Amino acid sequence: MKYEEITSQATAEWANMTSGRVPLVRIGTAMCGHAAGAFRVLKALQKYLDSKGLKANIQEVGCLGLCYAEPLLDIKKPGKSRLFFNNVTPEEIEYIVDEYLINEGYPKEKVFGYIGEEGSVNGEDSLESMPGLKLQNRIALRNAGHTSPHDINQYIANGGYAGLYKALTDMSPSEVIDEVKNSGLRGRGGAAFPTGVKWSFLVGSPGPTKYILCNCEEGDPGAYNDKGILESDPHTLLEGLAIAGYATGASNGIVFIRHGHDGPIERTEKAIEQAYDLGLIGNNILGTDFNFDIEVALTGESYVAGEETALMEAVEGKRAMPRFRPPFPAAFGVWGKPSNINNVKSLAYAPEIISKGADWFSSIGVNQSTGTAIVCLSGDVNRPGLYEVPMGLTLGEVVDDLGGGVTGNGQLKLLQTGGPLGGVLGPDSKDIHIDFDEMRSAGAIFGSGGIIVGSDRVCAVDLTRVLVAFCQLESCGKCFPCRLGMEHLLEIVERISNCASKPGDMDLMKSIGGTMEAGSLCGHGQLGFGPIRSAITHFEEDFRLHIEENRCPTGSCDRSKIVPKNTRPYATDHIPGE
Amino acid sequence: MSDKVNLTIDGVEIQAEPGSMIIQAAMDNEMYIPYLCYYPGMKPYGACRMCVVKAEAPTPDGSYRALPGSPASCTTPVSEGMRVETNTGDLVGLRKGIMELLISEHPHGCLNCHRVELCGPTDVCLRHVSVNDRCVTCPKNERCELKDTVRYMEMELTTPLTYNNRHLPMEVKDPYWDMDMNLCIVCSRCVRACDEVRGDRAITLIDKSGRSIIGTAAGTSLLESGCEFCGACIDVCPTGAIVERDYKWDKAVQKISTTCPHCPVGCQLDLDVNKRNKVVRSIPNRKAEANMGMACFKGKFGLDFVNNKNRLKKPMVRKNSILEEVTWPEALDFVAGKLEHHQDGDYALIASARGTNEDNFAAQKFARRVMKSNNVNVSSNSRPKLVNSLQNLIGTDCASNKIWELLDSQVILLVSANITEEQNVVSVPIKQAVAKGANLIVIDQRETELTRYATKWIRPLINSESVLIGGILRSIIDQSLEDHDFATEKCEGYDKFRNSLWDFDLVKVSAQTGISQEEIREMAQIFANAGASSILYGLETISDSHINDTVESLVNLSLITGNLGKKSGGIYPLFSGANQQGSRDVGCVPNLLPGHRPTASQGIDLMEISEACSSGAIKALHLIGDELFHNTPNRSEFLDKIKATDLLIVHESFASEVTEIADVVLPSALFSEKTGTYTNMEGRIHRLRPAIGPIGDEDEDWRILSQIAARLGSDDLSYSSSDDVLTEITNEVETYKTLQINSLDSRGHIRNPILNSSYVFSPIEFTQSKETLVNDQYPMVFAPGRVLFDADRDAGIVTENDLNTITRREVIEMNEEDAKEAGISEGDVIKILGEEFELTGNAHLNGLHSGMVATTALFGTLIESLNSSSEPDPMAKTAGLRLCKVRVEKV
Repeated sequence: MKYEEITSQATAEWANMTSGRVPLVRIGTAMCGHAAGAFRVLKALQKYLDSKGLKANIQEVGCLGLCYAEPLLDIKKPGKSRLFFNNVTPEEIEYIVDEYLINEGYPKEKVFGYIGEEGSVNGEDSLESMPGLKLQNRIALRNAGHTSPHDINQYIANGGYAGLYKALTDMSPSEVIDEVKNSGLRGRGGAAFPTGVKWSFLVGSPGPTKYILCNCEEGDPGAYNDKGILESDPHTLLEGLAIAGYATGASNGIVFIRHGHDGPIERTEKAIEQAYDLGLIGNNILGTDFNFDIEVALTGESYVAGEETALMEAVEGKRAMPRFRPPFPAAFGVWGKPSNINNVKSLAYAPEIISKGADWFSSIGVNQSTGTAIVCLSGDVNRPGLYEVPMGLTLGEVVDDLGGGVTGNGQLKLLQTGGPLGGVLGPDSKDIHIDFDEMRSAGAIFGSGGIIVGSDRVCAVDLTRVLVAFCQLESCGKCFPCRLGMEHLLEIVERISNCASKPGDMDLMKSIGGTMEAGSLCGHGQLGFGPIRSAITHFEEDFRLHIEENRCPTGSCDRSKIVPKNTRPYATDHIPGE
Repeated sequence: MSDKVNLTIDGVEIQAEPGSMIIQAAMDNEMYIPYLCYYPGMKPYGACRMCVVKAEAPTPDGSYRALPGSPASCTTPVSEGMRVETNTGDLVGLRKGIMELLISEHPHGCLNCHRVELCGPTDVCLRHVSVNDRCVTCPKNERCELKDTVRYMEMELTTPLTYNNRHLPMEVKDPYWDMDMNLCIVCSRCVRACDEVRGDRAITLIDKSGRSIIGTAAGTSLLESGCEFCGACIDVCPTGAIVERDYKWDKAVQKISTTCPHCPVGCQLDLDVNKRNKVVRSIPNRKAEANMGMACFKGKFGLDFVNNKNRLKKPMVRKNSILEEVTWPEALDFVAGKLEHHQDGDYALIASARGTNEDNFAAQKFARRVMKSNNVNVSSNSRPKLVNSLQNLIGTDCASNKIWELLDSQVILLVSANITEEQNVVSVPIKQAVAKGANLIVIDQRETELTRYATKWIRPLINSESVLIGGILRSIIDQSLEDHDFATEKCEGYDKFRNSLWDFDLVKVSAQTGISQEEIREMAQIFANAGASSILYGLETISDSHINDTVESLVNLSLITGNLGKKSGGIYPLFSGANQQGSRDVGCVPNLLPGHRPTASQGIDLMEISEACSSGAIKALHLIGDELFHNTPNRSEFLDKIKATDLLIVHESFASEVTEIADVVLPSALFSEKTGTYTNMEGRIHRLRPAIGPIGDEDEDWRILSQIAARLGSDDLSYSSSDDVLTEITNEVETYKTLQINSLDSRGHIRNPILNSSYVFSPIEFTQSKETLVNDQYPMVFAPGRVLFDADRDAGIVTENDLNTITRREVIEMNEEDAKEAGISEGDVIKILGEEFELTGNAHLNGLHSGMVATTALFGTLIESLNSSSEPDPMAKTAGLRLCKVRVEKV
């Protein structure tokens, strides 16, 4: 099918859906919605509409980012704006439907806000004027919460695959790479390496078979933006992947998703099928001579599988353990073929960068950090959510404006950023801007975008223990410094947390950390001491209290608390050291 | 050489192979960088991080750019002008830091016991350290690479780190090996050896983080995990985590490098000998070019027979129908007195396939010169036709290429050979070649381990192999795939041969072989289109009368594709018998004199010996070793027949059914007690060196024969040492002339083949299978198969008496039509009955040819039976997978 035919059909469908005679009901069923009970609400809704014989077009959509408001339901009646209802329970469905659809009234008890050019339905606030959305600039998540991830036409009707079409028809591969280079896009997986430069590595590698891998392992606690993109708008990734494939001359794309992320897996697989059906991937894409195949590969439960070389091992069906480098993936990747690995977010920007141009993208953000930051805000904060904000916002704005401040009128004590291997920032970090380089120099990393807020009820030692326990459990067990060092670090942190430290424990941790940093094979071990080091830097007092005064400042280090299971080696009893 | 890379390590200028890793370059130049997970010959892994170095490489502007961090030297390739530091303060500190972590979970009483310096082999341990952590709980004490490394690093071993013993139970329920995962440092060498080198993947890393450890692939037992019990994991283990079970605590006082007596690969083994004169371990030599550090279940775990106490220690002579121990002079006088009367052609001598070149040279000389009989043979020479025509056609009667050239073959054609069990180490380069992308074509009725690796597994009708190869040859011509230049310029008889192919119409071939024309064409393409294609043949399922045709067809195939005289091409006959090749070379066969000179009159064939005994043609039978008896399908009949002789002389090391009926039994030395040479299947001459001293009065066979000869008034065998014999061999056997006796090391010496001026094509004939294997009582042919691992079928593991046993339902493959006729349907319980066995299982109706049944057993079951056998040398008596006649009954 020609691109024009595809778009005109999709646009017609979308117009019919949004301005037809049947009310359009959208409900967020991404992870946060799911967890809050969206599917129960959906079921109750369907049942109730059926029982009343009411016709409505119900669409599952992704996450609008306002996780605290989930399940988030919105109803668009013909000619009216979308009216949103927050924290809907199945029991409230009857009230909302009765009031709004049957009685043509206004269920003001549940109204959250509106979105739409038609203006306020009955005097409620615009959702977009609330800080949660006002501060956002949604690029990768532009469709999340608006279109259904199950329907490729909704994506196309909203400008989807225009970037790919433009790249294929108007641009040469090198122009695409230049565009991405000029946009200043840096990899969102953690290392912040310029994406365009990375792509150019693959261009030079020979061979008809080359792979672009997309990494959605995302096993960090407090990170859900990759999954969020895949379950809200998988096509933006597929389009980005295809653009990357075109730019680099790759033949295959593999979307690597952690086993168990069922929503993202199902939606991505379905999206791939739909894209094949329309000839948007496969052979002779959009009538050009560009061929590109995409498939989904799964891993077992392994955090390290997100490390690029371990990921390649996992794709090959092996144990997910990092390879040594060189050879680098661009020369010897999956199945020994040249490969390039990108984070979901990095690829998801590509369609808009191509459509709107590098200048538009680089105008957003600050310094060397262009574009937006997709923040997963969680922890002791009033409005946790998935927020896409321009780079350069301060952490204070994130916590206070987006997040609505610390819960329970508490004081901000710490921010844990960039995943468990990232770092901890103290209460004085509010002025730090979200900027890859500024955050790194502050001793933390922006990483994949997770920000966990800790109030003054949180003990830094306890938090460190949890982070180290995670890192220890998730060590793949290959290289000695990481496998063994993590074990000892955890043991010592546990000891301190239990107010049973031994003299010299702090120095011992530092020396183990030094060995790990210098000796480990991959980033997991090299960065494994990071959480402890930054915790010691910012919260030395917490450690001192545990060690010298045998007490926990917040009381959260409770011996009776569960120690993470299966993290320790087999030992049940310790034989005193010789 | 100029293509080497120049670099400096710690200021020393060295040269290295391009692409090699720093650590290997250092090793090659006799410099040491501590390491634990690296192992020469295996791919770098980069886990232990002990081999960290600082390195800097020159940049175009002349300055040096440091490689980031502390790269591991096992994963960092050398580059021109590189400067490497291996022992800076930082590096030493980092190494010590890692080693401290490692030692914190590895029992190390062996290192820090205060008596460690004083401790001698006879000391009573004062148990300074806790009992379960003493040095004596580690079977590798003082053989441990970890311990050596710690000592090299001069560690203080005072660490504030908590010591964590894993407290895991030992795994001791599988045959031959013990696994103590408390000693494991998770270097994965064993896993990589199993996967990368052997291609078996029987062991694997399980779990993650601090709990990662080695486990079996099936999670239960090695028996069902695809283990071939080659011991490669044991050989690479740096600690005592995986060890041989037998004699695991024994320390070696001596290491002797010698040659394995089990098969014609001639693996070079280093035997550990303890202070009680026992061979306690066998460790394959990594420098040996025949086996490249590999061994198999036989060479690794099948040598304990040399320690068996129930040896024959004194000569015995039958007096008044009772065998009595006598002195050597008495026995020899007796033998000589008797043999005097058999010097007119009624004497036959069968030498042992384990006899050295010296033994068997002496044996043939004894038979021919002293006893004036051409009836001399070696027990493994049961199918001389396997190689008889090779000499004339290609100029050598053994493998035309070296075993490890197979690594780079692009196509390997394997015809009817169960290499995994018969010439195991040859399968290693084949599996590695397949892993690198080579095509393996297996033609065999039986499912063997290598059929699992095959691109194509072809099961032709019985005895139709020569026709099938003929079909492939014809198809090569039809598709113009032949190497015409090679065939016409380097070979003789091409036109005549080519004309003989017109009979091989593919329709006819297909009907005769049961293989579709399409398959034949594809095989022709695969074989002919590769750069280097090699052929290996054992012809184990082919009747004697078809062997010659098949061998000639295979030679033609190699010639027509130009694969002879080419590296990684060539043709490899696969026979049995550790020194079959040498025996042939030194003339210990009835049709050849030393140096492959034809005899004037040929002696009796091996298979006719027993018949000749019962008919009276042979009146004195001289057996060196009792292998002939073991290799005979019908053993009791064999015994009855050889009983008919007037004189039966047996040289043996162990009592057996044959020694029981002998008139004279002469105790013979084992391979482990001998000096001498073997010649392997590539024509490589290897040394045997005595590892253990005499146990009784046994002697080497050449010396026994020499003494009998002297008593018979002959000075033909007046040798004073085996090297005397070898010197005579090198004079008489043309191909051995270049052998330098004194410089023979574990790399061996390839004998000099006398190549013909050109190769010879043989015209082939389209033959109908003449022989039939079956009869009315047993109308079906049974093809027994055996594989290491069977992913499709469940095997259960039962533990009895602390030993794992496989319980598994047999599946009997059968032709659908045959089954229909017998009223058998899929899944029915059926029984197959042979002359000497029966087997019950579930019928599985698949595309098998009519008239055949087949099963696939697990190798683990064989290992179980070998492990529990009470035979002194069970590995030598493993029954091969023979086709046999059976009938099928529904249960």
